[in-house]
Amino acid sequence: MDGSVILDNVVMRFDDFTAIEPTSLEIRSGEFFSFLGPSGCGKTTLLNIISGFLSPTDGDVRIGNASMRGVPVNHRPTAMIFQNLALFPLMSVYQNIEFGLEVRGVDRATRRRKADELLELVALGGSGGKPVSALSGGQKQRVAIARALAVEPRVLLLDEPLSALDLKLRQHMRNELKAIQRKTGITFIYITHDQGEALAMSDRVAVMSAGRIQQVADPETLYHRPQTGFVATFVGENNRLAGRVIECRDGRATLDIPGLGRLSGRSGSELSPGRPAALFVRPESLSLSDAVGSAAASMLEAHIETVSFEGAWRMLEARLIATRETVRILVGQGAGDVLQPGQTARFGYDPDNAIVLADDGAPTHDAEMGETPRASSQPAQENRHVPSA
Amino acid sequence: MFRQLKARFGVPVAMAIVGILGVWLIAMVTLPQLQMIDYSFRPSLLPAEIGGPKDGWTLANYVTLFNNDIHLSIFFKTLWSSVFVTLLTLLVSYPLAYYLAKIATPGQAALCLLLLIVPFWINEILRTFSWFILLAFRGPLNEILLSLGLIERPIRFLNGDTGVLVGMVYAYLLFMVFPLYNAIESLDGNQIRAARDLGAGSLRTHWRIVIPHAKPGIATGCIMTFMLAAGSYAVPALLGSPGSRWFTQIIYNWFFEGGDWNQGAAYAFLLLILCIGFMALVMRLFKVGLADIAK
Repeated sequence: MDGSVILDNVVMRFDDFTAIEPTSLEIRSGEFFSFLGPSGCGKTTLLNIISGFLSPTDGDVRIGNASMRGVPVNHRPTAMIFQNLALFPLMSVYQNIEFGLEVRGVDRATRRRKADELLELVALGGSGGKPVSALSGGQKQRVAIARALAVEPRVLLLDEPLSALDLKLRQHMRNELKAIQRKTGITFIYITHDQGEALAMSDRVAVMSAGRIQQVADPETLYHRPQTGFVATFVGENNRLAGRVIECRDGRATLDIPGLGRLSGRSGSELSPGRPAALFVRPESLSLSDAVGSAAASMLEAHIETVSFEGAWRMLEARLIATRETVRILVGQGAGDVLQPGQTARFGYDPDNAIVLADDGAPTHDAEMGETPRASSQPAQENRHVPSA
Repeated sequence: MFRQLKARFGVPVAMAIVGILGVWLIAMVTLPQLQMIDYSFRPSLLPAEIGGPKDGWTLANYVTLFNNDIHLSIFFKTLWSSVFVTLLTLLVSYPLAYYLAKIATPGQAALCLLLLIVPFWINEILRTFSWFILLAFRGPLNEILLSLGLIERPIRFLNGDTGVLVGMVYAYLLFMVFPLYNAIESLDGNQIRAARDLGAGSLRTHWRIVIPHAKPGIATGCIMTFMLAAGSYAVPALLGSPGSRWFTQIIYNWFFEGGDWNQGAAYAFLLLILCIGFMALVMRLFKVGLADIAK
């Protein structure tokens, strides 16, 4: 069963607003693929195009190598899990799960057997007779999954289905979704604005912004090798220092940053001397200067403004003395103990852990959020990705 | 209720509100109805005989209906025709209400609702008369059908029940559209999308998802339309022919032409019992309670 999904130059325009810029992409059969982006980036539009609720202005969607042009929603080999689940409240759990089979003319006994199998799969065995209203949030989630799987889709589309759950349950359901995906081998296409979700579950992630796919890669690559400023700031946290390229050699780029002088990092995109670029250093890659201690390290002097305790870590917010920009630094407990707001400290980073990306005027995530770069705190991210390395 | 009003407005205002409501309900609704029930169980007498030996309670006025074949057939004809009007109105209103609630943009919906409501600013008699003109033997509808070649000679729409049915569907359309619209509007659009996504065609989506959700609205609309249709006087009087008389016309005749209020009251109560019976039946059929309908 070929569950591959190919977007062939898909464009979506509403009147004079372009929701999806020309987009081509191949999602492999059996892959857990996520579209990650802030609200309004076009990811839900893309999902609606794949499911057939919207017809693209131009381009084609191919599922299992068959063109979906002119194929209505109810004849596509896809099934959707809605953000609000959209379980049928007037039907029992059985009736919900069996609905798609009933539509296909499957007889009663086979329907019931299939529903029981699916209820076992989602660990809800024996709940078939209950009304939907008697279920908890997590159980409703499972029924929605079972209902969608009942029609044996080649592709399962998930529209932020976990967003209504509390943190603990959400983390649990993540693992469960991943396990179900492995067990069934169905292609999962997952839409989310929560990078923690996308990184934790996906085989590959497409980061979207303003109707455009910024980068498609596996989670590790996205985190360590972002290709655009948007990806660097949207996936995980990052400190952005803008300047101009001085030289570019052996995969290493050096920038001249006003007030800070020459700083370098790995070059992450096409760079040429004289062009604007930005250096991205993650909070966990910055450390107190004595901890770095090597000649390779680059130094920054900053004034500590806030210290927030986060269990094993402390997040510092500090203002660079030279440029008045705010940077965020993640430090381990030992180092964090001695730091107090009001102190001045020197921070360093290993250039191998920083990346330089061309600043082509494309929006970074922060600019899109209407914030000046690093001038204020990032939106709350309860699932900050902290690599163990 | 009194306690809540007292807490909110204080004793004097609360007492005034409850008092006015009580006077209105008792003096202007309940007592006249009781008076009519009393009338219906007494013989029609000359003023001088009232309170005399001939005066007393009797079922004679109710028995009259069952001894008069013509009246009885009109009684049941009114029942069936009203059911038919109700179903026809439902059939016309459902697509309209669905369009307004789920397909139209807010602007389109507002425009449509306005266009639906504006004719109702005109008196019902005048609206019914305009249908009289439209449906007349030499009226515009016949002219159009003739000029399109769909018919060879004009149809006498006003001769049988056609005119009455058309007039009633039109007159009571809004009483069906609004409860339906309210019910369908509250349906989460994702429910419809989910049904489609699971493979259901549009007929099945309506049958399994939209209609079950809209059931209280359908019941409300049906009850209102049936009550209005069964109790209608102007439409059958203007658009009907002698062959399509409505039971209300017979009641009217007892009161104002026969001058027999007692007989008229008995007939009116039989019609009321019919309507209540229908309402109970619909509520049982749709498995809805009074609370669902009041929503």
